[in-house]
Amino acid sequence: MAAGQVNAVMNKDRINYPQLLETNALIQQLSDESYWLCVTRTVQESKLFPVSPYMLLSYFMAFYRYPELVRKVDRHLPAEQIGDRMRNMGIKCANPAMGWGLPSFYLLGREYMINLGLLRPQDALVDLIDVMDFWKRFQLGWHRNDGHLANSNYGHRAQILPERRLQVFHADLYECRQGDALHNAAQAFMAAASQYGFLISCESRISLCNSGPYKISDTREMIVRDYMDLSESDFPWLDDVARDIPYNNLTVTMAVEGCHIYLMDDWGSFESEPEFKSHHMVGVGLYTSDALSEGYLPVAMGSREELTNAFTSLTDKLKLATSKLWKRIALWTRDQMMDAGAVTYFAIAKDIAHVAGCYEVEDWMMVDERAERFRPLLNDEYSNAFLGELVGSMTNPSQRVSEYSMMMHANTPTRMYSHIPYAVLDAGDFTRSVEPLRPGRSHLESKQDRYTTSAGVLTLAEYNRRAREFTPAVCGPRFRHLCETWLKYHHQSPLAQELYCLEQQHSRKLAGRGAGLKRADIEELRDKL
Amino acid sequence: MSHYYADADKFGDEAASPLVEAFHSAVKDLVRQRFAASGQDWASFVFDGAQTLITAEDFAAIDKRILALGHRYAWSALVSVAERPDAYKPAQGLHDDLAMFSFEHPEAVVATVDAEGWQQCGVGDNVVPFDEMLVGTARYLRSSAMVFDYLTRGVPPGTIAIIDDSGGTLTAPILEQFKGVLCAGGTVRSHLGILTREYGIPCFMNAKLSGIREGDTVRMETTARAKTAEAYQQGREMTARVWRRAK
Repeated sequence: MAAGQVNAVMNKDRINYPQLLETNALIQQLSDESYWLCVTRTVQESKLFPVSPYMLLSYFMAFYRYPELVRKVDRHLPAEQIGDRMRNMGIKCANPAMGWGLPSFYLLGREYMINLGLLRPQDALVDLIDVMDFWKRFQLGWHRNDGHLANSNYGHRAQILPERRLQVFHADLYECRQGDALHNAAQAFMAAASQYGFLISCESRISLCNSGPYKISDTREMIVRDYMDLSESDFPWLDDVARDIPYNNLTVTMAVEGCHIYLMDDWGSFESEPEFKSHHMVGVGLYTSDALSEGYLPVAMGSREELTNAFTSLTDKLKLATSKLWKRIALWTRDQMMDAGAVTYFAIAKDIAHVAGCYEVEDWMMVDERAERFRPLLNDEYSNAFLGELVGSMTNPSQRVSEYSMMMHANTPTRMYSHIPYAVLDAGDFTRSVEPLRPGRSHLESKQDRYTTSAGVLTLAEYNRRAREFTPAVCGPRFRHLCETWLKYHHQSPLAQELYCLEQQHSRKLAGRGAGLKRADIEELRDKL
Repeated sequence: MSHYYADADKFGDEAASPLVEAFHSAVKDLVRQRFAASGQDWASFVFDGAQTLITAEDFAAIDKRILALGHRYAWSALVSVAERPDAYKPAQGLHDDLAMFSFEHPEAVVATVDAEGWQQCGVGDNVVPFDEMLVGTARYLRSSAMVFDYLTRGVPPGTIAIIDDSGGTLTAPILEQFKGVLCAGGTVRSHLGILTREYGIPCFMNAKLSGIREGDTVRMETTARAKTAEAYQQGREMTARVWRRAK
């Protein structure tokens, strides 16, 4: 029996004190960080999409469906092993999806229900424990190398990747300078991809994630930026319009000089000193990855010219898709916009199901009928006002605590997410679960059975089958536990050589070089301008 | 009726927003009634009776009661007011009335016409500084119909788009064609701010404007410093000026 299955069974049998202590600590961490993120990052608004209404709808969806969905995924592949795989991919399992969205959307839905008088803090207790536990195990696996639960615990930093991958990214970067052809092409691509990302995600920024920084020389840092869900894959609204986009996920590696990335938050956005501007980018690379790839695969990294042309070609394709998609969306009804936005948010963590090989359209692309009931409440003004209270002022009744309290960052007697009352251990006065999934519905067109992957365009059944049968070599039993601490003392071993050569197999500069190189050696090997 | 947890909150009372409180009080009243009528204890009711006895029709009735009191919702998405004009406050400056429309921010800094014929008519938060000031033609972009029109006909050269949507989707297919952007909302970190920076388009966010009409010649102080994160966190003003050419 897998670890996740054991956990799920135990939770159903009994609730104990350590379990509640841990769950409340996780809830409080998310409460503190969510407040900081929501008040210091930008407010998301749109005249095109009813953003606050669809966000609130997505919170209901998360509350009713995440517990059963994470248990389903966990039965196929335990959360910590999905976290392990995520150290080798730039797909929508990183920030803000798993780092913040999955637990926070569930907790926001729970808090919303409490304030509607429909839920007590001790209701759906097994669901709550399971969601938090799944999140914790994923995060610990994913952050294994930096040893933190989340970026916020690391002073807002995300050093996820192992040395062997960083060396490949570092070695294969192409130098560029503002005004040269590669720099211009890369900059144009990132602008077009960002804009397209906002549109495919119904105004949210969840198709874009930065991680790092990594120190690649005394004067340079490297950021890893993922653009996700770009092609025909899960979202029905990308059917046809995104057919010409050849990669579903693209990762841009960027060498940055002249500014220090001092903050990388759990939404995948960063701050730097001085403020990052395009001329600070002095090196660039391009990769793709997904649940079927052996880690990151280079895209057009054979030569500077090839990479420049690829950026330009991708930019043209993204602009065309942007125009087509915008025309489609501009004709949508409010219900369609609500569904698309709510699904985008709710399905922020859907890629865990792709990795586990158990993704189903009915699970992730539909509005659960229990959540659907609330739609008539969600007019623009109410939704804006309530969301502002829920994540900003925290003035809803459930969020107010003893006047002696001073919440982290806010200094107010508030708590964004309610704790579980420990008295449930004595009185047993709690409920366990919202129970199985109910049917869902959608105002959008049905999803076509086309999924763009690194193995080609597949049907969903084929995609799931391949995912279930696939384990990336570095995550297999031979290498899975060979961590950075082991490497430190065994880099001369044949096993370390084998592991590094595996990672280097597609590298332009490092193929076959093995485990002995240090950062200065990599810098020396790099192509110069 | 069994004890209803929401009636015994030591620290919480009402939501701060009267509209939120109106909705939530109505929902709680509904839950009280259905809970009492169900004859169930809470543990049975919460994921059984509450899910079948409380319906979309109940929530629609609450919405209807709020509107019957004379309230009209403030809209944020154009599609909301377009589909339910009776439920939302009317939208202005979207169609035929554009020629007489202008953003009128109560805190807009308006000065007298200077010797060169420029009249300051507002300020904004500069996203990225440029070497020279920017002059162009003001054109309001407030609806997808307007964007669609420009998408079909092309954006006139020299357009400084005046937008009240700080998002990155409304103007997505034509943003790159703007000479400059004045956005009446958001911050330099808003999606529109991020995109204009990546495209290298001069942009002021959080622009507080007055008196700019469609077709006016406007000038942006794009040489001003970009507003910093620290300035936002400290609530410190750090603005760039906007002028219109006096007629």
